[in-house]
Amino acid sequence: MSPVPTTCPFCACGCGFYLLASKGQLIGVAPSESHPVSRGRLCARGWSAHEAALWGDRLKQPLLQRDSKLGPASWIEALDHVVGRIRELIDTGKPVGILGSPRATNEENYLASKLARAGFRTNNVDFCFHSLCRPLLAGFEEVSGQYSPSIHLNDIESSQTILLMEGDLAKTHPRAASCVIRALERGAHLITIGYTRTQMVRLSALHLQTAPGNEGAVLNGLVASILQLGLEDRTSAAFDCEGYDALRRGLATARMTEEMHQAAEWIGRAKQAAFLMAPTSGQGDQPRKDAAALATLAAITGHLDKPGSGLLPLLARSNARGACDMGVAPDRLPGYEPWDDWRCRHRLQELWGRKLPSAFGLDAESLLQSVSGLIILADDPPSVLAMGQRALAAMGKIEFLVVLDAFVTPTVKISHVALPIASFAETDGTLTSMEGRVQRLGATTDPPGEARPGWQVLAELCTRFQVDGSYGSASDVRREIAQAAPRYAGTEQPESGDGWGGTWVEDSDQRNFRLSAMRVAALTSAERPHVLAREGAYDWGRDPLVSYSPSLSRDYQSQRKLFPDGFVEICKQDGDRLGLRTGWQARLSSVHGDAVVPIRVRTDLEPGVVLVPYAFRDHVANVLGTHSIAAVKVEQA
Amino acid sequence: MVFTIQRQGISKWLEKLLETSAVIAPVRGPSGDVVFSTIRSPAQVLWDFGNPLHPPKQFVLPQTDPIVAIKRNGQRHEVEPIHDDAPRILFNVRSCDAKGITFLTRMHAMEPADASYLRRSNNITVVSLACNSPCPQGFCVCTDSGPFLSSGYDVQLTDLGENYLVEVGSEKGEAAISGVADLFRTATEGELAQRKDLEITARRHFGKETCHFASAMRRISTGRVRDALWDKMSDWCLECGACTLACPTCYCFSVKDLARDGGWIRCRLWDSCQHAAFTLEASGHNPREQRKERMKRRFFHKASAQYYMRDGMVGCVGCGRCVKVCLGTTNMPAVVGAIRKGKWHE
Repeated sequence: MSPVPTTCPFCACGCGFYLLASKGQLIGVAPSESHPVSRGRLCARGWSAHEAALWGDRLKQPLLQRDSKLGPASWIEALDHVVGRIRELIDTGKPVGILGSPRATNEENYLASKLARAGFRTNNVDFCFHSLCRPLLAGFEEVSGQYSPSIHLNDIESSQTILLMEGDLAKTHPRAASCVIRALERGAHLITIGYTRTQMVRLSALHLQTAPGNEGAVLNGLVASILQLGLEDRTSAAFDCEGYDALRRGLATARMTEEMHQAAEWIGRAKQAAFLMAPTSGQGDQPRKDAAALATLAAITGHLDKPGSGLLPLLARSNARGACDMGVAPDRLPGYEPWDDWRCRHRLQELWGRKLPSAFGLDAESLLQSVSGLIILADDPPSVLAMGQRALAAMGKIEFLVVLDAFVTPTVKISHVALPIASFAETDGTLTSMEGRVQRLGATTDPPGEARPGWQVLAELCTRFQVDGSYGSASDVRREIAQAAPRYAGTEQPESGDGWGGTWVEDSDQRNFRLSAMRVAALTSAERPHVLAREGAYDWGRDPLVSYSPSLSRDYQSQRKLFPDGFVEICKQDGDRLGLRTGWQARLSSVHGDAVVPIRVRTDLEPGVVLVPYAFRDHVANVLGTHSIAAVKVEQA
Repeated sequence: MVFTIQRQGISKWLEKLLETSAVIAPVRGPSGDVVFSTIRSPAQVLWDFGNPLHPPKQFVLPQTDPIVAIKRNGQRHEVEPIHDDAPRILFNVRSCDAKGITFLTRMHAMEPADASYLRRSNNITVVSLACNSPCPQGFCVCTDSGPFLSSGYDVQLTDLGENYLVEVGSEKGEAAISGVADLFRTATEGELAQRKDLEITARRHFGKETCHFASAMRRISTGRVRDALWDKMSDWCLECGACTLACPTCYCFSVKDLARDGGWIRCRLWDSCQHAAFTLEASGHNPREQRKERMKRRFFHKASAQYYMRDGMVGCVGCGRCVKVCLGTTNMPAVVGAIRKGKWHE
């Protein structure tokens, strides 16, 4: 038994550990003290990482739908069928597309992007989780010209001030929460912004209470406080940049409180400050504006220029950053470069030997609803997309659906062709953590049955669509990635040298600041005084790595068994006032529609807030419409 | 019986051991960490090393442990126990870890005895290496599990410089040195005195800090830890379960059937009392729903008089692993200190 070093496949913190196997079977996980990110500290998910691949319902051989039934097929049969049908659709002018995945490696995502753009000649390529992380990255990019974080996870430990846009960090990113806790032990000030009294809020020195959708108002208040107290960094590159005066004018009427002034003091005077941001909820463009406001706060206090200080977007899934960087987005090319950047287009055309498509591509939700042929790589859209089960219905109407996955998911079950690929424990490949560290997976066991590494399957598809797919190994794919996305140069051999290796994506230090004040629109009215908000941005309970793990799935499964109709949460005061108790039914109505759902009363919520866990969003889909938040009226049903 | 073996003789001894058993020892892992691994040659074995973060518990009680094979036979099911009794030698295990294995074996041998565990552990010989210079995080003096052992090993080695002192503590230990008797000679009075001196010097490394377990135990056993203190401490725990998984004395498990070849393999899996679902009942009720309840339970099991009476020691061998693996800050020394002082981060 020899331990195999690998990278954690769950969240985007980028921890590392050893996988242990015996007689060709995974048996456990061992921590590594020398890993630069995790340093021997793993969360519950990391400690159980071997379980899903071992216990999960694995896809072991290609499946092909015949007479409306999925049945076993050979690889040749299955691939021939995929190529034939997709070609037919393209030839008849029907739209086709590909969904990549934050659960897949960089190599797989890169090849998905290449297959779509060079093989299918379309920009119809995206990944489901993108819609949830895009506003964060876009907001940061808008202000500083960079979407990439300017801080490493472990820098948080030495920060004096930490500002956390709370989305229950202790549960979503336990390793990041660990850094925050270490910083607190050293006397750092934690400022939280949120609407539930989470663990991190209980540990904070200062909590800025807000309502869902109103986070921006608090951030405006903080920026205004910095300006009023003269705490801006006049040596910063952001000082006097475009929009600085407009920002000052725009925030002249921002509401400030004593607490905001205190927070501003701590942020402004800190030598090192960390700004951590979970996706916020809000209507329309609000989440992007929230991210921009946080970036503005970091920019004017100079924390985007200081080493060890900066912004960190909290991405839920391990390779969300990698999927972005590989160009798995309709409007972004590898390197996350805008799709109309002529230099990048030229580079890719040279490299791929094909002219790039120039028509707009569709995002994940639209792809599901409008393409005739779709290839889904390692993802289950209904469990990830905000639209929930409506995605399943949309996929049911797709003429030809192909799924590449290691696990049997609901999406696999409705596919026309399912191709078995290796799980994270069985393939070579790299993941890019949210801080931009490119790290390798260690193939510990053989893929089960006839499953093949995903990059091989995608490379074969590339070849069949007359695009170069002649890679001898995953390293060959990495070499090409470095050419396609120059910021990945140097990541071809992430294991080189001693120890864990891992290389950084070359992020430019060049930041072009552009500031502007944002406005927060009021949401509630006398008629609909409550705010219903989706809580969280990811449902781990439906992720195969959790749902197939005996240790990790217990909590999620029991919740679903206890509440088959889901629930929404309200605070005790509201419950008493409305005559509602845990388990009782409430009617929620918004401008979009209404729904009757069970209530769960919580003691750590603010009045006026109604939360629906991301896992139960389907039960209030009528009420939320296409938004993450809505003004509602709550009454006994 | 106490012997001496020359430094150069160790390789020959290990080669002999490798003929009949799998030898597991601390080696340099692929990414630079020290890890326990099955060795192929004596040269791989490390002699000067920081204790691996993952304890050798995994070899007596694997994280995934097949215990029963279940097969369908017509309308009936056939159930057959799976035994792993391969001979293994755990070599250069530190004192705390040897003591941890003793603890686990004692627990599993209590009625009703765990046959699956005992078949495996009965075929494991523990060769421990006394700690001449204790590790910085360790507090084994507080738990009577190091830096040198007076019992609980099959063989205990002490580095005397040119030679190793070889203390044999059991029949399994005798068997381990029997094949190559010419490599060992009876230790001299001088060598025994040297070992004693080394132990005294090693103990001095721990400084004047005294053991806090006794006062913490009094408070825990008599319910004199304020609820507010548990409440406060529990916010500094991130529920990773690492303190239990990496603990050489923790043995809690869950059971799950693994579908294989038309039948099932019933496996015992490491579990943690710190996970919310550990005590979740089928009805949905959870007697320890709050994290502070789970923490309280953990420390009651680790350091209450009730368990001390049963196990003959606290449920801790002072290895300090929980200090290193804890995602939060609620490791054994920190919590024991807080219980003793009645204060947390104040």
